[in-house]
Amino acid sequence: MQVELSDVIDTLPGLAWIERADGSVDLVNRRWREYTGAAHASAPELEWQHVMHPDDLPEFMKRWQPLPAPSHNRAEPRQIDVRLRRLDGQYRWFHFQSSPVFGVSGEVIKWCNIAIDVDHRKRREDALRATEINYRKFVESLPGLVVTMNLAGEIELASQEVLEFFGKTPEELKRWATSDAVHPDDLARVTAAFRESVATGNPYNIEHRCRRADGVYRWFQVRALPVKDTDHRVTGWYVLLTDITERQQSIEDRNWAEGLLAGEKQLLEMIGSGHSLHEVLHAACIFVEKASANSHCGFYPIDWSGPTFRSAVAPTLPASYTDPIEGLPVRYDIAPCGIAAFDRMQVIVENIETDPRWRGSSYQSHVLSHGLKSVWSTPITSKEGLVLGTFCIYQRSPGRPSKRQFELMAQVTHIASIAIERSHAEAALKRSEALLAEGQRLSLTGTFSWCVATDEIVWSDQSYRIFAVDPATPLTFGLIYTRIHPEDAPAFNAMVERARETRDDFDFVCRLLLPDRSVKHVHVVAHGARSHNGHLDYIGAIQDVTQRRLSEDALNRARAELTRVARVTSLSVLTASIAHEVNQPLSGIITNASTCLRMLAADPPNVQGARETATRMIRDGNRASEVIARLRALFSKKEVACESLDLNEAARELIALSLSELQRKKILLRTDFADDLSPVAGDRVQLQQVILNLLLNAAEAMSGVQDRPRHLVIRTQRESRDHVRLSIQDAGVGLDPQTMDKLFEAFYTTKSDGMGIGLSVSRSIIERHQGRLWATPNNGPGATFSFSIPCKSEIELHTHDFTPTDAPDAQDARQVARSL
Amino acid sequence: MAIGSLVSVVDDDESVRESLPDLLRELGFLAQSFSSAEKFLTSDSLNKTRCLILDVAMPDMSGPDLQRELTLRGHGIPIIFITAHGDATIRPTLIKRGAVECLLKPFSESDLLTALHSAFRVD
Repeated sequence: MQVELSDVIDTLPGLAWIERADGSVDLVNRRWREYTGAAHASAPELEWQHVMHPDDLPEFMKRWQPLPAPSHNRAEPRQIDVRLRRLDGQYRWFHFQSSPVFGVSGEVIKWCNIAIDVDHRKRREDALRATEINYRKFVESLPGLVVTMNLAGEIELASQEVLEFFGKTPEELKRWATSDAVHPDDLARVTAAFRESVATGNPYNIEHRCRRADGVYRWFQVRALPVKDTDHRVTGWYVLLTDITERQQSIEDRNWAEGLLAGEKQLLEMIGSGHSLHEVLHAACIFVEKASANSHCGFYPIDWSGPTFRSAVAPTLPASYTDPIEGLPVRYDIAPCGIAAFDRMQVIVENIETDPRWRGSSYQSHVLSHGLKSVWSTPITSKEGLVLGTFCIYQRSPGRPSKRQFELMAQVTHIASIAIERSHAEAALKRSEALLAEGQRLSLTGTFSWCVATDEIVWSDQSYRIFAVDPATPLTFGLIYTRIHPEDAPAFNAMVERARETRDDFDFVCRLLLPDRSVKHVHVVAHGARSHNGHLDYIGAIQDVTQRRLSEDALNRARAELTRVARVTSLSVLTASIAHEVNQPLSGIITNASTCLRMLAADPPNVQGARETATRMIRDGNRASEVIARLRALFSKKEVACESLDLNEAARELIALSLSELQRKKILLRTDFADDLSPVAGDRVQLQQVILNLLLNAAEAMSGVQDRPRHLVIRTQRESRDHVRLSIQDAGVGLDPQTMDKLFEAFYTTKSDGMGIGLSVSRSIIERHQGRLWATPNNGPGATFSFSIPCKSEIELHTHDFTPTDAPDAQDARQVARSL
Repeated sequence: MAIGSLVSVVDDDESVRESLPDLLRELGFLAQSFSSAEKFLTSDSLNKTRCLILDVAMPDMSGPDLQRELTLRGHGIPIIFITAHGDATIRPTLIKRGAVECLLKPFSESDLLTALHSAFRVD
């Protein structure tokens, strides 16, 4: 029996052994021994423990534990897969099966064990499992969610990840098309696309939003590929959902940024191309309202001279909203814009209805009555930090600005600040241009520029006026030459040619002959400079100096007249001169007549002598007559005059005439005129001659002074109740005490070129005015010459030959004085 | 009156130089005329002259200059000034300096005679 059993088990197609109820090995078969290479079967128990893979042993031992006796009758076949080591050391998988052998009383007496080599199958299964794991890993590592769908569009399989994303059970997810899984705005599009793909069998690719478990919609790119059977029939769909929210976001961000940039560019172009501030702000409002849906915007420029809100721009708000704001004083508490303007910070009113700052205010009711709820005000500040105005966004529902709206407000207020500053600058420029034009008009000065390379000439308006040229006329040198006085044309031409060659600054005066035959004197100065493109440009000014020229001419004529009168010096000298010239021949006539009479009375009469003397008389008589004729021609002007005159005024007139002479001599003239000076009666011309004489003497006395200022003081004062005094104080060489008494003598002079009659004549003039003339040395350097004459009422009592002030002679005298 | 005495006339005016010596001769004097003070001073008439009729205003040396010069040289010749400048203001000054008279042109024969009388009385 024993042999038989062993033979039997040797034939079994596997490794087999028989185990006793206590677990000890009873018998092993040949294949076992061959497989394990066991030399003997004496200790098979020990042996198989060595043969089994260490990793499998613990599980095996647990299962293979001999069952307690009472449970023997419940013993059931046992099986397990373990790895056994082959003779060559290689482990192979075996499927162990163990069946109990029951005794007569039903107890387990032995176990029959057989191990079938399942290595091939096992390894195939492992490979498959590994593939499956890899596949799952692959699927799970995909950047998206994967599901399968049947032809009805129901989700059949969904990964855990998918379930977690949607926060739904597979059953809920199955009918996604009727759930909220897809964004309602996208659903119609999605189902239509899927039906299309089902109908055509074409892959399906669409982007839409899916609702995440937390309620946030995320953008997905959803691609579905058809699953086909061997007959190429579509049996279902593999669907991959890729989250593209980030990408979508960045595209949106880019579009937003591009939109902002485009808007900014458009507005800046408007500013640059000279659109009005209103137009620019209007466009900015439209831009903001387009970029930020459901918004109304308004710009509120501030005129700080008030300060008031001026020229609000709010295209989509009704006039009933903006009109009351126009001219409104800017106060802190008037509106969010007031706070924004004063605090220079953004003011966000999320809901005007509930915001405690505005509760019950007229502002609140104003805003609410126009259906507006939220008000976001941003100050518009200049580069220097001055608040130029405010920008306001209104919404019809309460809320805070989004990140983008904040961006938008920052952007738009920045552009608005540029636009407003630009408009301020333009206004200032216009004012300054107007001022310049007015200044040019008033000063009769025009400006010009001349590009030497191109002969391009640009004139200011005043230059056109000076040249009497229509501003529409193109400017050429040809045109300019038609205006240059023919006598000055050669000099003008020479100047232009010199300027071309030398690039020197030029400064010259020439005359213009205008179409109406009038003559203008112009003074042209110009400075040559390199322009940015390297050309030589002259920039200069043209001043119409005609009036100055004319007054200079008049002044010169007056000076010549004065010189002439001064040369004559005084009526006294004039009289003396006439007397001398006439008395000489008269003297000859009388002497000859006496001689003649004596010759005729002689006995015998000396007729021949008498004839000669009579001939000389005729000659002398003619000579006297010629003298009178010559004098009459020389002194045709009224010589004697008397009028009421203000000594201050007479002195001022004279100073005006002498000023340039005094300046030339570097004399510092100071006047100290009494305000309450009574008028005097006298000959203005004569008194002015005296003053001039004293003035020129004083100037002369200081001509050599180098070590101190050449101060000259002309002073008038009331000397007594009935006299006024004029004194001229110099800082010159002073008076020599030795010669002081000679000063007023005729023919006395200290000057090499003087006649020595000035002071003598001056004194005689003053004495004829019942006055006196004297000199005193100063405490410091120099001398003071003074005269005093009676006031008008006083002098009238003493004189009969002075003409009344309103007589024609006096008027003539005044004219003479004025002509000086 | 010193009939036959030499009276010299110094005047830059020709008509005086022509007419006055003739009248002086009619009055019985010897007469010489000179067109300038310098010519008189360098002439040999200087020492023979008993009376000098002298113009005040002349180029170069004036009448008063000649008067001063003669005083300095010790020539006590009586001087009758004549002047065409109708300004009497210098007369007192000249008289004060020793002139016999200052006649303002035109002067009459009797004025001249009176002056000559004075001159020779002084002499």
